[in-house]
This record gives sequence, structure tokens and C-alpha cells, in this order.
Amino acid sequence: MRSGFLSCVLADFNPFLPIESRPVFTFSVGRWEVAISNHIIMVTVAMLLLVTVLPLAAMSRRQIPKGLGNLIELVCEFLREQLARPILRDRTDRYIGFVWTAFFFVLTLNLLGMVPTEQIIFLLTGKETHIGGPATANIWVTGAMAVVAFFMIHIYGIKEQGLWGYIVNFAPPVPWWLKPLMYFLEIISSFVRPFTLAIRLFANIVAGHMVLATFLGLIVVFKNYQAAVASVAGVVAISFIELLVAFLQAYVFTLLSTLYIGLSTAPEH
Amino acid sequence: MLAIAANGSTVWAIVGAVAACAVVIIAASIGLAIIGGKAAEAIARQPEAGGRIFLAMVVAAAMIEGFTFFALLICFMTVFWMRS
Repeated sequence: MRSGFLSCVLADFNPFLPIESRPVFTFSVGRWEVAISNHIIMVTVAMLLLVTVLPLAAMSRRQIPKGLGNLIELVCEFLREQLARPILRDRTDRYIGFVWTAFFFVLTLNLLGMVPTEQIIFLLTGKETHIGGPATANIWVTGAMAVVAFFMIHIYGIKEQGLWGYIVNFAPPVPWWLKPLMYFLEIISSFVRPFTLAIRLFANIVAGHMVLATFLGLIVVFKNYQAAVASVAGVVAISFIELLVAFLQAYVFTLLSTLYIGLSTAPEH
Repeated sequence: MLAIAANGSTVWAIVGAVAACAVVIIAASIGLAIIGGKAAEAIARQPEAGGRIFLAMVVAAAMIEGFTFFALLICFMTVFWMRS
């Protein structure tokens, strides 16, 4: 994106550049200026993709599904039987909707983040836009997902046990003089757990993308073709790890949300 | 050192942050190595449980990496606060 040797390098020296959220266009609503950033666009794209593709693929009435429906059924069945059933037992079918939604949403955002849309657009048209980026590399996006998980945990707990039952069962059974301390600890942990969900996903994706960007930035530092070859080979290898991390972090987010839902809907007596 | 800190020099803060990074990485590596070793031993004892043990190992590794990156982020942010 510069002149000379560096004009054919789709990288930058600053590793933060691919991860930041930059405003793409703004529009004004009344008195306020609303800036639509590239991460908002990625989240919207992921939402539209999931809302259209998943029902279409799951709509086939075959006994043995084929194609994309088969893949989605495989993933959903794995999540329901291997992830949710051991934790939630009889309550699986009530809360499996949230489990599937969380997994597919986080997975789609992570995988869309691995697609280098800005570089592809630059290669095709020669214009620098900042359209794509890993949406989960934004603490607000993962924070919003963690807030949703927080509300779902408490709402499911209240639906399952009733409001008074939920409050009474919030702390484990201990002698009466320990109860205030246990309530204090449980309230703190109910805030800390979604926070760690957000931070874990955010930090993993940011670290992965910064390593990729740093490897590509080495081309800008060394400015010769040997460095470019070694750099791109390293980026390919690390991209495999990043794909694994995308699936793994989606799985861990879903596993922990399911665990917390299980704990809140049926605490150990 | 106190005189330097009172003067507003942030070099030692950056050194401290980077040293903390190193300690965090060492601790995480030891933890992950223990998990990997125990998982390998468990699979050697009972090869037919290999899939489930692998899954448990991978999940535990993801959790440890989670708070490792948390600590690394704090060290990283310290460096950038000191530089700005």
C-alpha cells in the first residue's frame, strides 16, 4: 500500500492495524452522529449469514440429511449430546437453543475474522477500505455476548426455580453465620464469570491476529524476498493454529455458558 | 530507583511489565506441560478413552491460555500507558 517494493506488500508495520475498529460511514439520527464501524458490519454480516443459511440447511425433511444440513446437524448433535447432556441432563432441550446460538455466532464471527477482506478488496480494486476485521477482537463485541450470557444465566435460573427459590438457592447450604459471606462471594463470581468469558475470547483472538500481523510486518522491516517467503510460510502455519483457536474458543465459550446455566438452574443441594 | 521513579522516568515500569510477561509465560508453559503430560499418561493407560481425554486436555489448555492472555494484556497495556 506504498510505493516501490512495499507497494506489493499487503501488510503494515503496526500490528494493531488489522484489529482496530474503524468507522466506515456515519449517519445522523436527530442530534446524534452514529458511526458504523467495520466490526458492526461484520456482526451484521454474521447475523444475516446465520439467519438465512441455518434455517435453509435445516429445513430438509430427509431422514438422512445431505450436504450443509448434514454438517450443521453433526455440529448441533455433538453440542447437544456431548456438551449439554452431561451438564444439563433433563433440562437440555429447554436451553439448547441458547447453546446452539452462542456456538454458531461465536464460530461465525471468529471464522469471518480469518478472511482478509481488506486485502482482497485492495487486490481487486486497488482501493483501501477498512471493511472487514475480526469482530471478536473488539472487547465491546465479546462484552456484549458476555452480557447476553449473564442475563440468560439469571433469567433461566429464575424461570426454573422461581424468583424466591432462585435467591434462596443462590448460595450453597452453609451455617447461617456464613450466609452473608457466601452471598457476597456468589454475587461477585456471577459478575466475574461473564467478564472472564469476554476477556478470554477477546484476548485469544487479538493475540492470534497480532501475531499474524507481526509476522507480515517483518516483511516491511526486512524488505527482501527471503523474509517475505519465510514470513508467509510462518503466517500459513499460524493461520492453521488460528483456525483451531477459532473453533476452540467458540467451544469453550459455549461450554462455560452451559456450565453456568447448569449451575444456576439446579444448584447442588 | 526511587529517585528515577520520582523524576517520572518510566523505564523501570516498562522493565517490570516485560519481566511480568516473562513470568506469566513461564507459569503458563509449566501448567500446560503438566496437563499435556498427564493427558499422555492417561491415554497410555487407557487408549480407548483417548478421544475424551484429548478433549478434556484441549479444554483445560484453552482455559489456562484464557487467563494467560488476560495477564499478558495487562502487561501490554502497561507498556503502552508508559509510552504515551
